[in-house]
Amino acid sequence: MSHVFPKWSNALPLQIILYLFVLGGTVTAGVTYYCTPKYLRVGYAPVQPVPYDHSLHAGQLGLDCRYCHSNVDQSGFANLPTSQTCMNCHSLVKPQSPLLAVVRASYQSGEPVPWVQVHKAPDYVYFNHAVHVNRGVSCVECHGQINEMPVVYHAKSLSMKFCLTCHRDPASFLRAPADVYNLDSPTLAAQGRAAEAARLIHDWKIKPPESCSGCHR
Amino acid sequence: MKRQFDHPAPSERELNGPRYWRSLDELAATPGFRAYLEREFPEEASRLDGVDRRQFFKLMAASFALGGIGLAGCRRPEAYVLPYGKSMEEVKDGLPLYFATAMPLRRAAIPLVAETYQGRPTKLEGNPSYQPHGGASSLIAQASLLDLYDPDRATTHLKDGAALTAAALNDLLAAVGKKYAEGRGAGLAFLAESSSSPTRAALVARLRESLPAAVWAEYEPVIDEPPVEAARIAFGRDVKPVYRLAAARRVVSLDSDFLQTGPAALADARNFARGRRVASPAGADRMNRLYVAESGLTITGAMADHRLRIASSHVPALAAALAGRVLGTDAYAPLAAGLDVKPEWIAECAADLLAHRGGSLVLAGAHQPVAVHALAYLMNAALGNIGRTVDFVAAEPAGAATIQQLAAVIKAGSVKTLFILGGNPAYNAPADLDWMALQKSVPEVIRYGYYVDETSALAGVHIAATHYLESWGDARTADGTIVPVQPMILPLFDGMNELSLLTHVLGDAVTDPYTLVYHTITGLTGGDPEKTFRRFLYDGLLEGTAYPPVGGLSPRADAAAAILAAAPRKPVVGAQSLEVRFAADYKTDDGRFANNGWLQECPDPITRLTWDNAILISPRLAGELNILPPLSGVLPVARDEAADWINGREQAHVGVVKLGGRTVRGPLQIQPGLSNYTIILPLGYGRTRSGRVGTGAGFNASAVRTGGTMHVATGATIEIIPDERYTLANTQEHWSLEGRDLIREANVDEFKANPAFAAALGLEAHSPPYDPESAQRPLEEKATEIPRGNSLYTTPKFDGLHQWGMSIDLNTCIGCQACVIACQAENNIPIVGKDQVVRGREMHWIRIDRYYSDGRIATGAFGGADNRSIPEDPQVSLEPMACQQCELAPCEMVCPVNATVHDNEGLNVMAYNRCVGTRYCANNCPYKVRRFNYFDWNKHATDALYLGPLGHQQEMPELLKMVRNPEVTVRMRGVMEKCTYCVQRIENAKIQQKVKAAQAGNPGDVLVRDGAVRTACQQACPVEAIVFGNLLDPESAVRKAKAQPRDYAVLGYLNVRPRTTYLGKLRNPNPRMPDYAELPLSRRESNLKNHSAAETGRPESADRKPEGNHA
Repeated sequence: MSHVFPKWSNALPLQIILYLFVLGGTVTAGVTYYCTPKYLRVGYAPVQPVPYDHSLHAGQLGLDCRYCHSNVDQSGFANLPTSQTCMNCHSLVKPQSPLLAVVRASYQSGEPVPWVQVHKAPDYVYFNHAVHVNRGVSCVECHGQINEMPVVYHAKSLSMKFCLTCHRDPASFLRAPADVYNLDSPTLAAQGRAAEAARLIHDWKIKPPESCSGCHR
Repeated sequence: MKRQFDHPAPSERELNGPRYWRSLDELAATPGFRAYLEREFPEEASRLDGVDRRQFFKLMAASFALGGIGLAGCRRPEAYVLPYGKSMEEVKDGLPLYFATAMPLRRAAIPLVAETYQGRPTKLEGNPSYQPHGGASSLIAQASLLDLYDPDRATTHLKDGAALTAAALNDLLAAVGKKYAEGRGAGLAFLAESSSSPTRAALVARLRESLPAAVWAEYEPVIDEPPVEAARIAFGRDVKPVYRLAAARRVVSLDSDFLQTGPAALADARNFARGRRVASPAGADRMNRLYVAESGLTITGAMADHRLRIASSHVPALAAALAGRVLGTDAYAPLAAGLDVKPEWIAECAADLLAHRGGSLVLAGAHQPVAVHALAYLMNAALGNIGRTVDFVAAEPAGAATIQQLAAVIKAGSVKTLFILGGNPAYNAPADLDWMALQKSVPEVIRYGYYVDETSALAGVHIAATHYLESWGDARTADGTIVPVQPMILPLFDGMNELSLLTHVLGDAVTDPYTLVYHTITGLTGGDPEKTFRRFLYDGLLEGTAYPPVGGLSPRADAAAAILAAAPRKPVVGAQSLEVRFAADYKTDDGRFANNGWLQECPDPITRLTWDNAILISPRLAGELNILPPLSGVLPVARDEAADWINGREQAHVGVVKLGGRTVRGPLQIQPGLSNYTIILPLGYGRTRSGRVGTGAGFNASAVRTGGTMHVATGATIEIIPDERYTLANTQEHWSLEGRDLIREANVDEFKANPAFAAALGLEAHSPPYDPESAQRPLEEKATEIPRGNSLYTTPKFDGLHQWGMSIDLNTCIGCQACVIACQAENNIPIVGKDQVVRGREMHWIRIDRYYSDGRIATGAFGGADNRSIPEDPQVSLEPMACQQCELAPCEMVCPVNATVHDNEGLNVMAYNRCVGTRYCANNCPYKVRRFNYFDWNKHATDALYLGPLGHQQEMPELLKMVRNPEVTVRMRGVMEKCTYCVQRIENAKIQQKVKAAQAGNPGDVLVRDGAVRTACQQACPVEAIVFGNLLDPESAVRKAKAQPRDYAVLGYLNVRPRTTYLGKLRNPNPRMPDYAELPLSRRESNLKNHSAAETGRPESADRKPEGNHA
């Protein structure tokens, strides 16, 4: 009886397994890299209807974050300023600038300026700004060096792991209450004031939720 | 030859189809509409005109190429953040605002506080400033929010089927006013709903002054206030009673369902619960006692300590017999003659009342004849209750004509223009009026209504009404307090307000309802008008406007003669002459809420029916009609009434009720507890022109309802249609957990002797404790450091600062279902439709289990061969059931993906985005409180569920999405869900506390205060049966509640350690009454079942054993 299969076919099962391993590994590696918030979100910098420059306003001019995002310390949602807020200054400063035409039109008509959302938590995540900024977490921790960004981009991954890193070890990320809106200030730990951070955690009973109910409702 | 059918030409509206979202301008094709079109569609749409075929293909090829590479698909969709153009006062994005308003209903109102997110009302709560309600709200008030976003509501004004602009409508109304001004109103008639609005009353007074010849009639299909004639007979004054039930220790209800129906039901229920609540055995003697005589089984009857089944038409005789005893006279003997009630029942009831002079109360149902009310008033006067448990306040004289008087005028042909303001007479007017024909005979009918309904179909002009949450108004509560009806949002569809309608007819210059209300309120008070009005809106009520009690009431000397003259003759009620009781439905009321999905899907508190009404008949009558299902085998202790069930679907017989030559046809439901020969016809169903929810649900009982016998009629017969069955969506068997001492009740005497009776019942009482010391350990310790070692489950780490827990007092729960709808509104719970309810897929997170018990039947009945009957007179016990938040939760152990886990504050939480839908958790839940999203309930209409993605055309209307609570995830298909203890409220309370503390300079003060977080069910509960809070706080209300001796855990023997525990129910029967039982009937039944007859002895009163009904 002749051989149905040639001899080289003996190695075939092993080869198939090997190839499958390589293929599986590649796919896994690809997915872990390309399908994570770190790849998909970081760097997202959409074109805004008004070329608002944070590095100018918050950096050079030193505007406090809360001048525009006025409810950030009371509401869960860090509001965008109304066109009226922009016009507080821009009715006097560069009142005729063509770049501000959209804002002026919005102020006249009451129609909103369609700002493109940069940082977006998934719908099932209920992030609350007020509780973070009131308890020593600076804007910079999640949004990056906004005061140096001419165009705002997504600086951090904002994945669940990112949140939990801080929630599991708040001591390394806390700032003194006075420095929360000072985007250039280092954390207490980085300043070598770890003891102070530990005291804050104790006195303020800082116990960031690690349970699902903290963020998912 | 081809036959031609002469169909009427379709109206413009029909051709356009139901366009809910577009403006009425579109239907009317106003000049502005073209411009609107230009703006609405993007420029690309018009530019395509200039694109030739070649260019088109080029463009398409390019876009296909892009799509093929998949770059476009991978892009993150652009989302926008839209801030206001101009800053808004008080508005902070993401934080809700609260405004006071009120829901007007008939001649009363429920004061409310509306929660709004960016101007969108999302939840209603009772206004706590109004003391009698204390922040409670009702089933209907909670659900009325959904009506605002009802996609089926009338969106445009219509004239002969074509849309009418607001301006054209104003002209039309003014023209009508002008036309009739000359004849001083001759030929003009109004048919309105009754209202408590002072502003409307003023406008109507002016209308009648300027158009004296016009007819102003009011019609309400359901009477919920006692007739004023009764007080005239009893006292010679125009007064009406306002009850103070908190002080009443003995309450006798003569066919009155005061806990749920009636203008003051919320206040009455709350006060009744105050007199019912017992904290310790020492206070048990203060517990009130409730006697109820009624024909149907109502919520009030379910709470009774002594319940007497009696035909409604025999209640006058009962009242006369009782009055004879209480007043010590035999003047009423002729009226009481022939009464078929044990004399001891009446004698002992009267003796009990007399022993509690000044602390007792007799109430009569609003539908009862004048004589019964007069007798109740006389009894209260004789018992010295006036001023203590009941006050009489001035009743406004009825100035309006009745619908019968109006009908007579129409028949005479002297009405040329008829306004129908609200109501729905074509659906629910007395059948003998033949309203449809009458309405057609009027040349011009102008109808004002929220829906295009049966009445609108016969009207030339339909005016779209505004919802109370979108227009200004005012109202009075049952005790007379004036409350604002404040809008939360601009009218969604340019509707018109009733007040401004009247001003247009009057030809006034001021037609703005805000100004009208402003003038009414500021006219009533002195001082700075602006300040007064702002205070009025801030408080949500006008202080000091409650009706003052009328003093110096004394019974008329000739009252007895007048009562005897007014009393109807006692009719014969029997199998050949059935009594029919027309009762407003608990949910759809008189039909006005028929298109509300939340209400339709809410199970009736007693019958547990959803999406339908049914002809309710007693087991005795069912036996005589030969439709009793075959009973065999073991009946569970807490039984349900049997019907024919196929896989949990009730297959009801269909019957025809004949009354006075008219017939109505509907499914039959056998309802224990009914008077033997009374059948109940619930109103409010059988709508033929409602919306997609209400149309076709149930049958219309108004078909046999005539003017003289609007609420009770006799002489009816019933016939079964053979071999016809109708599927009822009855939820009573869903999620059932019978037979394990779920409900624990005791009588007051037993409670005094053995305060911890609840702990002595149930399996855990007979098994050794899991941890012998646990009983001694304080709750604080138990809640955090659970005794380990005796459970297979690992104990979660409870190191949170708060440990949440709940206590539900079964003693005060009346089963009103307000919590069910409050939960639905708060937690974005979808409705699933009748078909899915039949399959047991309803989504309510909290349900109120209704159990029957009857320990008066023979021992042999349990599992015995002679068990051939359904109890005719059961005792009802209620138990609200939601997720018990077990500390050692069985659901968590079986979840393969850790989607349901514990948090460190004791909540059993659901992470929806982790859930893969294995449903293992629901299988393992001993309480059956987990709900599964079998379909995208939130995405698809209930009739398009099975279409899946193909049903995308039948997606939920955008409008309905506005009702959603933004703080709660909207769940998708394939996800499990359940009660979360309103985790969104807990988290927000914690956050608010932290923010407040940090800004006050004391950031360490992070503990949430007791009472700062209330669950939705707790907040709505009118009887304060639900207490929620932090178990670690020794001063918290929940700690105190759980420390009571009546505290027990349902299925406690499973050692799952539920965080929700219950307080055992107490009954307070009178030992001298003939129907006294030493133990609650459920316990007697349980004893009978579990112990031999020798141990317990034969039950007394063997005469109560129901007769065989298969004779």
